[in-house]
Amino acid sequence: MLFELKMPKLNDNMDTGLIETAYGAEDSALKLGSKLLDISVDLSRAFSQNCPPVSYYRLVLRETLWLRGLAAPGTRCTAGERIALFSNTPDEPIDGPVAREARVLVAGINVHDEMFSRSTAA
Amino acid sequence: MTLPLKLGPLVAGGFTIHRSGVHWLRADGDLCRAGEVIGYCNVSLEPSGGGLPGRIPFAEERELQVALAPRAAGHLRLGKSATLGGHLDEFGVYNWDPEAVVAELELSADAGPNDGTLRLLMLAGRRVTGLADVLTGMLPGWHNRARGWWADQSGGDVATLLSIGICDAVGPVRGEHSAFTEMFEEARLPAQAVFVPNHPVAPCATCLFEQFERTPAAYRAISDDLMGALTGGGVKATPDDWLFVGTLLQTLEDSPIRDTYDLLTPSGLLKGGAPTAVLISATAEGTTTLVHKKLGYCLHLLPVYRDAAGPAVKAWLASAFEPVKRSLDDMKRDYLRLIDSVSAETKARFLILNKMSTSGREDVVTYTPFDLPLGDTLANVAAKEMNLMLDDVAASRDVTIIDVDAIATELGGDEHLPDGIHQSGTMQAEIRSEILQALFETAD
Repeated sequence: MLFELKMPKLNDNMDTGLIETAYGAEDSALKLGSKLLDISVDLSRAFSQNCPPVSYYRLVLRETLWLRGLAAPGTRCTAGERIALFSNTPDEPIDGPVAREARVLVAGINVHDEMFSRSTAA
Repeated sequence: MTLPLKLGPLVAGGFTIHRSGVHWLRADGDLCRAGEVIGYCNVSLEPSGGGLPGRIPFAEERELQVALAPRAAGHLRLGKSATLGGHLDEFGVYNWDPEAVVAELELSADAGPNDGTLRLLMLAGRRVTGLADVLTGMLPGWHNRARGWWADQSGGDVATLLSIGICDAVGPVRGEHSAFTEMFEEARLPAQAVFVPNHPVAPCATCLFEQFERTPAAYRAISDDLMGALTGGGVKATPDDWLFVGTLLQTLEDSPIRDTYDLLTPSGLLKGGAPTAVLISATAEGTTTLVHKKLGYCLHLLPVYRDAAGPAVKAWLASAFEPVKRSLDDMKRDYLRLIDSVSAETKARFLILNKMSTSGREDVVTYTPFDLPLGDTLANVAAKEMNLMLDDVAASRDVTIIDVDAIATELGGDEHLPDGIHQSGTMQAEIRSEILQALFETAD
């Protein structure tokens, strides 16, 4: 079976989220509690003349699955867009129907130096 | 009943006060609240009798304005003569006449006794550069210090709130119109609100302490080093670099806590000294700051302002500074040093905005996936630890914590503080009330 993770809508005013950090290699087995992605949400629509209202979140897997696809750091995704694909077996074809959303927890996190927006900052 | 609205007294001994026509913020017929700013005019002082006095008040403050508010509620009736339009509403074409009627008010039924004298909110702005002359609006332009004081008092001390700002302080203090109007409307006691922006140095405790303690010789060393780096470095400085450097050096040269203030009041010119209260924010603290490798001073620059620098400054920041991690213990030490240092010279009390430490957008069911210490990763744990540290500071020093965390929780953080820093107008009003209460308790 396939499972997907969509960009969560973390604020009513949020349109998109930026993939800041991606953890885990494709086609690897992930344990419960594995880090998946760090994302940032900029309520100023990612272009702000002033101090931007940015929040940072980490998505952590809450079940054991095979990682089959993961959005790359620097990718901006709309809320509801797929950002990761999983399967419960390593050889499941990835073009089949998705059974359900993967179970994750969402945690607000501090900004850190491995984030995409930090590494590309002037 | 229709009440003529009179300007009321303003006195500056040795000077003639001139004013522009009135810029009306409310239209003819509008229902206005008591204490609501309904218009403003620009003000200038000219030496009386043609002579030059020894000291020109407001010499550093190129913006000087007076905002007008009725003392009772009612429907506004504008007089034709109160406005001339164009540049004549910018320049001081009228002498200040306390009996001048600029409008009328059809009093609301529940309005109390009133002689029609307007409440005056004085506004003054010290420009970052004389080039930043925006001529229209309340407190227009780019200021390294903006302030407003209620010209209600006829002498005596004025409770002064100095806010050294970052985003979560600017709204509650300066308000929706950025001109202290909400604070003025709410606070009927004599007061002055001063706002110093974080251009470009974020006012963390370390930077504020160093700023307060910095000697002229230490400043000259910083200035010489910086100018040498820009003129002798390998990266050619651009206009962005020079603008950034000028602003940075202004910030590093003097502490706003040592500022003094001219006050134009109904009884004459007053001189205000050290603030009654200094408002700072825990949001200004950074877990990493830049420390100059040779001179040892600290800079904390928000990314949005760091990005305003040109290539030469960015190269200087990268080569001359070392990023240094700051623990909560470091921050606590710097808060205590700052508070003790300022307390030794002034009676100013620190008011500190704490941080929101919860979020409705999280669903952390277990901390197992997160490395210890949790505060290094999880924003809300870090905020809770910061708030606890501030409580420790408050337990050992005479400071007031403005509990943003509790206010956000009561109002609903998701709606009123979506990113944990930038508040809604409702939340700014709540924080403003708590700041004013703390200010007047301190002043008593």
